[in-house]
Amino acid sequence: MKILVVLRMIPDSAGELELTSDGRGIDREWLDFQLNDFDDHALEEAILLKEAVGATVVAVAIGEGSNRVLQMAVARGADEAVALEAEGDGIIESRAIASSIVALARSKAADLVLCGVQSTEDLFGQLVPYAGTLLGWPHVSGSSRLGIEGSALRVTQERGGGIAATYEIALPAVIGVQTASKAPRYVSGSKLREASKTAIGKAPSEPAGFERSAEIVALRLPGQRGTGENLGDNPENVAERLASILAAKGFAGV
Amino acid sequence: MRIVACTEGSFGKLEPFSLEMIAAARGAGVAGDEVVAFFAGQELEPAIANLGAADRLVAASAGNAELIAAESYARLLRDTVAAEEPDLVLVPYSANGLDVAGDLAARTGWPLVSYVNEIRRDGDRLTVVAQVYGGKILAECSVPLPAILMVNPGAFAEAERRSVDPSKLQHSDATAVVAEGKVRLVGVDVPSYDSVDLTTAERIVCVGRGIGDEASIDIARGLADILGAEIAGSRPVVDSGWLPKVRQVGKSGQKVKPKLYLALGVSGAPEHLEGMSKSDLIIAVNTDPKAPIFNVAHFGATCDLFDLVANLSERLQAASGR
Repeated sequence: MKILVVLRMIPDSAGELELTSDGRGIDREWLDFQLNDFDDHALEEAILLKEAVGATVVAVAIGEGSNRVLQMAVARGADEAVALEAEGDGIIESRAIASSIVALARSKAADLVLCGVQSTEDLFGQLVPYAGTLLGWPHVSGSSRLGIEGSALRVTQERGGGIAATYEIALPAVIGVQTASKAPRYVSGSKLREASKTAIGKAPSEPAGFERSAEIVALRLPGQRGTGENLGDNPENVAERLASILAAKGFAGV
Repeated sequence: MRIVACTEGSFGKLEPFSLEMIAAARGAGVAGDEVVAFFAGQELEPAIANLGAADRLVAASAGNAELIAAESYARLLRDTVAAEEPDLVLVPYSANGLDVAGDLAARTGWPLVSYVNEIRRDGDRLTVVAQVYGGKILAECSVPLPAILMVNPGAFAEAERRSVDPSKLQHSDATAVVAEGKVRLVGVDVPSYDSVDLTTAERIVCVGRGIGDEASIDIARGLADILGAEIAGSRPVVDSGWLPKVRQVGKSGQKVKPKLYLALGVSGAPEHLEGMSKSDLIIAVNTDPKAPIFNVAHFGATCDLFDLVANLSERLQAASGR
């Protein structure tokens, strides 16, 4: 079995996001880029499948810091690393990169494409249904467990309200991972140093292939919708206020 | 303009966001527009009994599948879109919607915008507002029609619940479509609430990524015990295995409405807010003053959560000891 796993580098949303002067993008100059969290889980699930049933794992990364994350992927157990060329340096649109992922899935003869169920930048649609549909393969988004039963893939999907559905799918397929069966592993420095010698392949970006798309007119920071009270940043003061608020509302001393 | 509003339901219940899709469709249109509700599921009764605010209901009964796979739902929606030729299709942002919206967009080539909160008609286009970067930024987008929008649950008020007039119902049997699917349902797990049911808890202390590590959850648990609250976690905390799945709040966990919701180190991604924003009293502690959790919090603090929890626990214990 050959697994293609997609790793997207995205701006760290926990950091300060500032808009560009034209208001249509975020200022990327000083941003930290990190691996999309769901893609990290997809990588882990790929490695877990490899360990369970044997597989070749091809890691494909796109965006700022791709080489670094590909080395990490190899250190965790990926067999091959490919950096996908990005169009420009703006948002990584899943709608736009789907055709490139499809071309790679075909050229690498993948049986299974894994990626994170979403990214914080997939405003114009998610990679899983685009890639699955363009490949003509079944796709399931939001997996929390993957396994192989005979020649079929077993996928457990989170359906909300804590309900989980389990499906059986004949390969090939595209799966959007929400949570790996086990939490992503850490890798040692020595493994990372070893992996830094790995040759990283390059793949060109393919035209998106969609004639009409929505476009961003303007980005803005959400106004403070809530009318909540700011209690400040001094823990002692905050604790004192909260203790009296909780007492006043009948939540303390119970 | 004709708008197809996708709705969902399973286990005899309609998803409440189905009614929001009808309301969103009404809001996006102008007088004289037609709103067609689309439903696919095992039982049609919940749809027929509730979706009368739409002009028509197109419903496919999915035979024995107690939970219809997105693959089959998407195929049935495609048939409906081919027959109805709508200008706009609204899909809820749900587990099902994630597969369905992109499938339709890839096959039709129509534009798709996800995580939509607002829809406005702008001549022969739409202007929509969508959330990106975990709700930290709003993107105003211009969308040519026909188009597909994936709409956030909670962004629109529910349309009125009333039953569908029999003359407005178009019903088909989709058993064959479901049987042909490549994605075969082999089991459904409904969580066991023997140990805890957050949906009935009156007080919840929820920890997010900001708690840092598994050992620190005990510190939050200590405060929860003092408050008589259940401990809960956001998705990253549960994904890390620090708390069991039954204690997850949010889109893929539980939707809760306690009297007290204390969020410690929770950033408040849209998926989390969907699960708790209707709580009576929300108190949020996060060192990032721009964390979206503060948009729904009644009281917010940006101090170190460990210092706060230690200090607050001490005060509450002293008070209860009196």
